[in-house]
Amino acid sequence: MEMVVVAPPAPGRVEDLKRRFFATPLQALLSLISLAIMVFVVWKLLNWAVFSAVFTTTGGPEACQAAAGACWSVIAARWRIILFGLYPFEEQWRSALACVAVVVMTVLSCIPAFWTGRRIALVWGTGAALYYVLMKGGVLGLPFVGEEAWGGLALTLFIFVTTCLIGFPLAICLALLRRSDLPWISRTTGLIIDGVRSLPLISILFTFAVVLPFALPQWLQGDKLYRVILGSALFFSAYQAEIVRGGMQGVPAGQEEAAMALGMSYWQRIGRILLPQAMRNALPATINQFVISFKETSLVVIVGFFEILASGNAAYGTGEWRFAYVEVYAFIALIYFVFVFSLSRYGAFLERRMSVGER
Amino acid sequence: MNSTQSSGPAVRIENLDKYYGSFHALRKINLSVKRGERIVVCGPSGSGKSTMIRCINRLEQHNGGRITVLGTELNDDVGNIDEIRREVGMVFQHFNLFPHMTVLENCMIAPMIVRKRPRAEAETTARRYLEKVRIPEQAMKFPGQLSGGQQQRVAIARALCMQPQIMLFDEPTSALDPEMIAEVLDVMVRLASEGMTMICVTHEMGFARRVADRVIFMDAGEIVEEAPPEEFFTSCRNERTRQFLSQVLGH
Repeated sequence: MEMVVVAPPAPGRVEDLKRRFFATPLQALLSLISLAIMVFVVWKLLNWAVFSAVFTTTGGPEACQAAAGACWSVIAARWRIILFGLYPFEEQWRSALACVAVVVMTVLSCIPAFWTGRRIALVWGTGAALYYVLMKGGVLGLPFVGEEAWGGLALTLFIFVTTCLIGFPLAICLALLRRSDLPWISRTTGLIIDGVRSLPLISILFTFAVVLPFALPQWLQGDKLYRVILGSALFFSAYQAEIVRGGMQGVPAGQEEAAMALGMSYWQRIGRILLPQAMRNALPATINQFVISFKETSLVVIVGFFEILASGNAAYGTGEWRFAYVEVYAFIALIYFVFVFSLSRYGAFLERRMSVGER
Repeated sequence: MNSTQSSGPAVRIENLDKYYGSFHALRKINLSVKRGERIVVCGPSGSGKSTMIRCINRLEQHNGGRITVLGTELNDDVGNIDEIRREVGMVFQHFNLFPHMTVLENCMIAPMIVRKRPRAEAETTARRYLEKVRIPEQAMKFPGQLSGGQQQRVAIARALCMQPQIMLFDEPTSALDPEMIAEVLDVMVRLASEGMTMICVTHEMGFARRVADRVIFMDAGEIVEEAPPEEFFTSCRNERTRQFLSQVLGH
């Protein structure tokens, strides 16, 4: 009995390690050297980040500079600038709440129970209204704060979410137009998609922020922030449209024929038969595109917006904390990581969920 | 409307022409199918038999001639096409079930969104037809979890849930393993015995002998021969038909 329960797994693992890393004297030597290097690096990193680091602001920048490790005091002293940018100090709780609203809205709309037209509209409607009222104010006794003062994490999240929210439906429209039976429609759409894709994002953002106001009448311009979001949504949709189209090509022609034979209309075929299957095919590439777009929000800095990366620059760039840029960037990297990693895990969850019927 | 419909033929095809580019796929086809009639269409591959029945519900667009289904002419009028598709069910060689829906949902979706039936009614109907094709216990499974024969029976149930007046079968057993052909043919035989108007493209000559009112032989885009089964199998006149039959029945 004991032999059956205990014996097989334990020696198995040791045997396995031996076979993989210590099969010959030379291999054993290389393994030991690699191990030593790894231990050294991890130790150095931990020592810098934790054991010799300074966490409090009591000593000010001077105490930090004297210490051998990381200077996390800069985060403690400057986190508000990183998260909220130039938003008025007294009102930053509103920016924090707005971030929470966007995150809650995104999380809710990721839960399958909310995937009906009415519920998703309710979630997005409430979320968007909450964000806008909280950030902009001017009503309910909240002081007015213009878009030019928005910044930090709140701005990054806002740009990302609105880009996807506008860009995704636009991408589906473009993908459908591109597979139109009428050649002049499909070719024109193809030209638009390829045109947008061959321009760098920075030039598109610049055009929408700076050049467009000369071409548009005053009443059509809107705030620079919304023009920039529109440009970034257009860029997103050009890439996403090709991803959706690829997904559609993976759906056999028989699916649409069966739907036609049952008497379904064009929009019923698209909405109930084609798109659900196409989106399943396109899911891995779609998550990839979302991840890229999240990180590309940092490009809005060139048209003068202080999203989280630019706010980080401001946080250490004011003189006394100038030496602590590594810590600031590590902190920002951690924030990016939390969001992007959750996005990837959610993608993996969706893939598992959607593969239920697939065999 | 229904009273005038019930008097005329179910399907009337007059001088039907169909081209793929410069290839003449169907040449001056004439065919009239009465209500309740069972037609079997056979012929070598590439003879245009699938193309012909796909013209009946406009999965293929014809280039010449007239097709009238249940008194409604098939033309560019989208309303007419939709009306005809609601009344004409189709079963495909490769089943074409919707893989992202359960068997039950496959059967409920068209009645709900096309015929606007309430969900409860659609479900009752769906379960009744699944019972009829003898797989009620598979209702909550996905198509990918079923065998080919089971999938094809679900496809028949899905088409029947729209309560069509005509059923088209496009080589329904050609993609099946031999041991599953019988279970699908059984369902089709029962459907025939209940008086459904059926047009079947198939090479199952046993089925043709048992249920068909008329057998039609096509070759090179033309109807070559057309006769009741006994006559068709025993005394066909055309050389091409005889050659085809010897190949199909030969072993």
